[in-house]
Amino acid sequence: MARPMGSVRLKKTSPATLAVGAALCIFILYFLIGSSTPDFSASRKATAASHPLSPPTSPFRKSTGNGKLKPPPVAHYDLNNVTTTPKPLENRENVLVLTPMARFYQGYWDNILELQYPHELITLGFILPKTKEGNDATRELQNRITKTQKYGPEKDRFKSIIILREDIDPPLVSQDEKERHKMQNQKARRAAMAKARNSLLFSTLGPATSWILWLDADVVETPPTIIQDLAQHDQAIMAPNCFQRFWNEEKKEMDERPYDFNNWQDSPTALDMAKKMDPDDILLEGYAEMATFRTLMAYMTNDGGRLHEEMPLDGVGGAALLVKADVHRDGAMFPPFAFYNLIETEGFAKMSKRLGWQPFGLPNYKVYHYNE
Amino acid sequence: MSAVIRMGTRGGRPSTSLLTGVYQPRGTTPTNRRRTQSLVRIGVVAAVLFFLALYVFARGGGDGSSSSSSSSVLSIFSLGLLSSGGADFELETVRYHDLSNVQGTARGWEREERILVCVPLRDAEAHLSMFFSHLKNLTYPHNLLDLAFLVSDSKDNTMGVLVKNLEDIQAAEEEEMHFGEISIIEKDFGQVVNQDVESRHGFAAQAGRRKLMARARNWLLTAALRPYHSWVYWRDVDVETAPFTILEDLMRHNKDVIVPNVWRPLPEWLGGEQPYDLNSWQESDTALTLADTLDEDAVIVEGYAEYATYRPHLAYLRDPYGDPDVEMELDGVGGVSILAKAKVFRYGVHFPAFSFEKHAETEGFGKMARKMDLSVIGLPHYTIWHAYEPSVDDIKHMEQMKREQLAQEEAEKEKAEKAKKLKESFGDATGQWERDKVEMQNIVTQEKKKEAAAAAAAANDKAGSDAPGGKVVEKVVAR
Repeated sequence: MARPMGSVRLKKTSPATLAVGAALCIFILYFLIGSSTPDFSASRKATAASHPLSPPTSPFRKSTGNGKLKPPPVAHYDLNNVTTTPKPLENRENVLVLTPMARFYQGYWDNILELQYPHELITLGFILPKTKEGNDATRELQNRITKTQKYGPEKDRFKSIIILREDIDPPLVSQDEKERHKMQNQKARRAAMAKARNSLLFSTLGPATSWILWLDADVVETPPTIIQDLAQHDQAIMAPNCFQRFWNEEKKEMDERPYDFNNWQDSPTALDMAKKMDPDDILLEGYAEMATFRTLMAYMTNDGGRLHEEMPLDGVGGAALLVKADVHRDGAMFPPFAFYNLIETEGFAKMSKRLGWQPFGLPNYKVYHYNE
Repeated sequence: MSAVIRMGTRGGRPSTSLLTGVYQPRGTTPTNRRRTQSLVRIGVVAAVLFFLALYVFARGGGDGSSSSSSSSVLSIFSLGLLSSGGADFELETVRYHDLSNVQGTARGWEREERILVCVPLRDAEAHLSMFFSHLKNLTYPHNLLDLAFLVSDSKDNTMGVLVKNLEDIQAAEEEEMHFGEISIIEKDFGQVVNQDVESRHGFAAQAGRRKLMARARNWLLTAALRPYHSWVYWRDVDVETAPFTILEDLMRHNKDVIVPNVWRPLPEWLGGEQPYDLNSWQESDTALTLADTLDEDAVIVEGYAEYATYRPHLAYLRDPYGDPDVEMELDGVGGVSILAKAKVFRYGVHFPAFSFEKHAETEGFGKMARKMDLSVIGLPHYTIWHAYEPSVDDIKHMEQMKREQLAQEEAEKEKAEKAKKLKESFGDATGQWERDKVEMQNIVTQEKKKEAAAAAAAANDKAGSDAPGGKVVEKVVAR
């Protein structure tokens, strides 16, 4: 070691100065980072709206607070260029995920976060009732959203998120599963549900959306590729099969059972029943006192069958549903009244058919409902 | 060990241990070097801590000014070049709206309620300047009006004129002229029927045409309705006369759906005026019975002899001196000018592009609103005026009239020509007479007799070509 020269050399390089220099560098870096604050990448910013008065399916520039806002620009949207193809990923098509939410389920949120579709192409829309339960769910939801949109890595962040609160007086029915499924409560409950769905849809659809994924808040298990999987069929309306996991006491193991009975093919019996009904009454599925003998997709599942086997449907459920935006743009909505003796999602299927769009289902492609 | 260090350091220079007298590797460093080393150590620790803090800050905590570390570091190394233009603003990705705040009330302008104004356009260039003059004159605060236009299947320059007008308004110096959000939606549906008046209003074409119009309206609405709208106002571009206060006038009634009466002015020979919009009506038993007999896809359209419905029409109930606030319940509405609460559309009421209870488009819209127990009201004595577009028969009649008029004009022109000719010749003579008179008076006063003959000769020469003049002169001479 060159010890004799050591002290001399040390004096020359002066580590103190080095330390001060390092500290200075840090401060410079700090101010560089602190002042620029690029919270989103340039490509995302390029597609953002310049004014808060804009389609909610896009983010917008935060007002800087200094000076008056300029009047909104003349925005031009060419809907001839909005495509809806079997390859949504390659064509970078925008997806709107819509969820009416009464309770917050972590499983649902985890599934949303794990969606393997570019998050910068996904807009989430929620509508929650203005009840105590709804307030709690809103708070939980907002916490998760802040975590993802503000502090999460950019690839996890969604294009935009809309939270709506309902203006509908809730029918006097509790959200308990038993109470909810009582037959006489069904019409009022499903009419309110239909209004909530429509409110959510028509407030958020906007000019850029290609697909709408309806996903109920209590669907807690969905494949992360659900958007691509359902879209590849290129059908106007595509419903997966909704099941529920439960503890089978007989077998002493976890088992699954059909859950959503609103995916069906019509039967002559049901059509006859409808003919005899008052036009304002509704036919319901899954009740013993009203046997319709419809072909239910819930029972059509075949464990050894092809995952992507299709079947045409006349009624659909809302648990999970991928819809081409054009269907809704043509006017297909969830009737909150008896439409051909059908209501809500089942009425939606009928209205779509009246507009020339045929719904389909995938009996072997499963999503799972929460078990209370 | 501490004693060793102290002794070693006291020496002021590197040395071996004095206690043992044996060479040992240096256990210590000189004071100044030790000080600098500890400084470096502190600096390194501080730097590590700082970056750690920065990382944690960006990941999990901190305030809004913090940022994703990867992108900010990237921006430093790229000197901001990669994110050019993007770094001067922040994005808001989350929107929260309580729909119970946008229900729509009777005095919306006081509560800053936003109205979405929807205007479907197709080959409408000719009407745009009139439309914009109406728009600019609306008394409802412009900043609360969001405009949405649908331009579809247009072959003229509708788009160009529209954009020019809108950009001029938004760039105007008067701030109160600026409107809110402006969306121009472009979508071609493929035109099935011609847009000229006759084919547009022919009976056979109605069902298909109305369904297509309904689709267009729905596409416009779904693209433009936002969670902050309290009202939606549908307005046709070819309204000629309407009160500037129409939005407030209709809003004051606080109904879910409300329409004014729509008439159109006519040329005098057609009676001066005429009910225009026959789609606003009350349901009748006859029509309901008729509906039951029709095919599922049939569409009843009003104003055609093929479907006699005997419905009370809003248009025919007009009294020009009636109270404009009088209301009438309706089942079907016309689309020329509809004010509806936004919640009507949110709940799902739309313009059926299929046969909904044997109706489509705006009439189906009225029916669907009633189905959902919403109020649908018309004002029989509050009238706006649609532009008059002559029908083919009218045009034939007008051509006939034009011919007659031309013939008449021709006759009149001939007559006038004749009279003019007569007058001309007569006028010439009078002028001559006057001149001659003056001249002759002069002559008479100056040289009474001798030059009278010469003057008479000169006058004769001048008027010689004109027989009557000549005669007059002769008369004068004779006198």
